[in-house]
Amino acid sequence: MKKFLRFTLNLGASLGASLCVAAVAVAEHSPQHQRHELMEAVGDAAKPLGGMLRGKMSFDADVVMKSLMTWQVSAEAFGDLFPEGSESGEGTEAAPEIWTDRAGFDAALAKFLEDTNTAIAAKPQTLEAAQPLIGAAFKNCKGCHDKYRIEDE
Amino acid sequence: MLRLLLLAALVLAAVGWLLSAPALIASEELPARQADSAAGERIFWAGGCGSCHASPVDGERAQGDDRLLLGGGQEFHTPYGVFRAPNISSDPTDGIGGWTDIEFVNAMQRGVSPDGEHYYPVFPFASYARMPVSDVLDLKAFLDTLPAVAGRAGDHELTFPWSVRRGIGLWKRRYLSSDPVVAVGSDDPALERGRLLVEGAGHCGECHTPRDKLGGLQKQYWLAGAPDLEGKGRIPNITPASDTLSDWSIDDLAYYFESGFTPDFDTAGGTMVAVQENLAQLEPADREAIAAYLKAIPAQTAPDR
Repeated sequence: MKKFLRFTLNLGASLGASLCVAAVAVAEHSPQHQRHELMEAVGDAAKPLGGMLRGKMSFDADVVMKSLMTWQVSAEAFGDLFPEGSESGEGTEAAPEIWTDRAGFDAALAKFLEDTNTAIAAKPQTLEAAQPLIGAAFKNCKGCHDKYRIEDE
Repeated sequence: MLRLLLLAALVLAAVGWLLSAPALIASEELPARQADSAAGERIFWAGGCGSCHASPVDGERAQGDDRLLLGGGQEFHTPYGVFRAPNISSDPTDGIGGWTDIEFVNAMQRGVSPDGEHYYPVFPFASYARMPVSDVLDLKAFLDTLPAVAGRAGDHELTFPWSVRRGIGLWKRRYLSSDPVVAVGSDDPALERGRLLVEGAGHCGECHTPRDKLGGLQKQYWLAGAPDLEGKGRIPNITPASDTLSDWSIDDLAYYFESGFTPDFDTAGGTMVAVQENLAQLEPADREAIAAYLKAIPAQTAPDR
């Protein structure tokens, strides 16, 4: 009896472990995971831009363009990463409003892309030229987060 | 024996009634000076009056200039029941346009209405008690310049024993004080400026400090973080012991108040969004003073519950 119990427990444990492995494998390709990674990339790209705006880093036109292009690619990709069925799970901070107000969410993404494209097209060569362009693109972070992101708990 | 018990109960009730009576500031104590409505606007944004009292627009929080339409009506669902923010616009009947200076000061700093009733501490008079009275009068002068909004919000709906308004008189005996919480500013004007903004008008402690069973702030855990009373997770620790803020410089904090961006260029979230938008209206020196105060207070960690 004791042996049987141990066997069952072991079986249960290994089954549980393989289920966990499977779940992680799925999670890596899930929209929740992908959009999280993409958002991290947007944040990483924002750091040098913000540092220059704050005067904490010296202006570098190439770095500015690189960051803006990261934003551009991300703004284009985000729209497909919030499909039906990915509303919750994996600690997503996506707010229900993304699905209840899809038109508003798409418009917010389009605005982010538009402001980013405007900045890229201008190819700013000085901090003075870059400031208003980057500032306008930056505003989209807050606008979108306020409406379409929930606080993690 | 029964008679003795009855007598004791009566005496207790009488003592309780006396102890719970509203305590007021006398009008002779007000400074004789012309109130400055421009200076009052600074207090308005530091206090964020509109974040509670501005009428919601289509069920959403008011933004931009709608933050100046103080018709009330916003609901707060808390463990004590539902609170509804009243109309504090300049409307003489539905708002507070008809109030005298001393009525306004007693409401703000003693939590007593012109009718002599206690306000619930959801209206953070226990913080406003630490404001210089001249700031309170300047604020009134500014509020008087804002538009009148007609209409009254519904009553609060509280659970027993919180529904017994008179009991707040006893609560005040225990928790209402104009003394500094952290006396950091005694010989540094910038720190004192920050202290008055944080501990007074800004009433930061009302959300960032945990409460005890009677709903009073546990000042031993000042600004060390607390459960969100509206049930949405935790309000963060903002002392130097904070996991997130410990690496932030004074400059980082001031930039966050101004822009809403963290040093990692994440944005403010939750109820802090509205607070940050209010702080963005202040002078840079005020934001720096708030930041300096937050860096100067004792590092604290609050228990999880």
